[in-house]
Amino acid sequence: MKEIIIDISDDGEISIETRGFKGKACLEESQFIKDLLGQELSSRLTPAYYETNKTQSKKYLKLCG
Amino acid sequence: MIKISHVSRIELEIRSLDALIAACNRLGFRFVKNQNTYKWYGRWIGDSPLPDGIRKQDLGKCDHAIKIPDCNYEIGVVKKGGIYILLWDSWESKLRLAVGNNGGILKQAYTQEAIKQHAKLKGYLVTEKKTEKGIRLHLHK
Repeated sequence: MKEIIIDISDDGEISIETRGFKGKACLEESQFIKDLLGQELSSRLTPAYYETNKTQSKKYLKLCG
Repeated sequence: MIKISHVSRIELEIRSLDALIAACNRLGFRFVKNQNTYKWYGRWIGDSPLPDGIRKQDLGKCDHAIKIPDCNYEIGVVKKGGIYILLWDSWESKLRLAVGNNGGILKQAYTQEAIKQHAKLKGYLVTEKKTEKGIRLHLHK
């Protein structure tokens, strides 16, 4: 599941977390929120950001005929 | 387990008048369009810093105003470029309580309304939850 979590403190501080995205999709998907709400003060990318959506495929070659 | 991919902190800018009006409705405040002055002490005595781009002589003037039940003072809504700046005299304790520290309660309501209006267009379902420190909006699809 793709999720965006927005926390707004009682002092009006806003933080955004994206979950379930891999790679740059999280930045693209959350951009509309940044455009809507204001200026990004800081951003931290986590290891999931650097993961890709590629799935490993195995190829089997016939060894004998 | 769902992994977090990135975390951002945002400085709120009020860009949507519709969302601000909806936020006022949510909080029981009255948004008055085209009211050009708002009630305050009437003289700046330097007890709080002026917002960026606002001079002493700008205080008391606005493009719209927000009235809060049981408060004498009002909030001025001033358009500066593409954003709206909120001006109010935080001396009145009832007003301070109603809008929250640093306007946080009004900012929360604005954020909730702005997100609610736009997230649906992007295909997200939005749920709201009260947390220990404020409010959490959960967008998912």
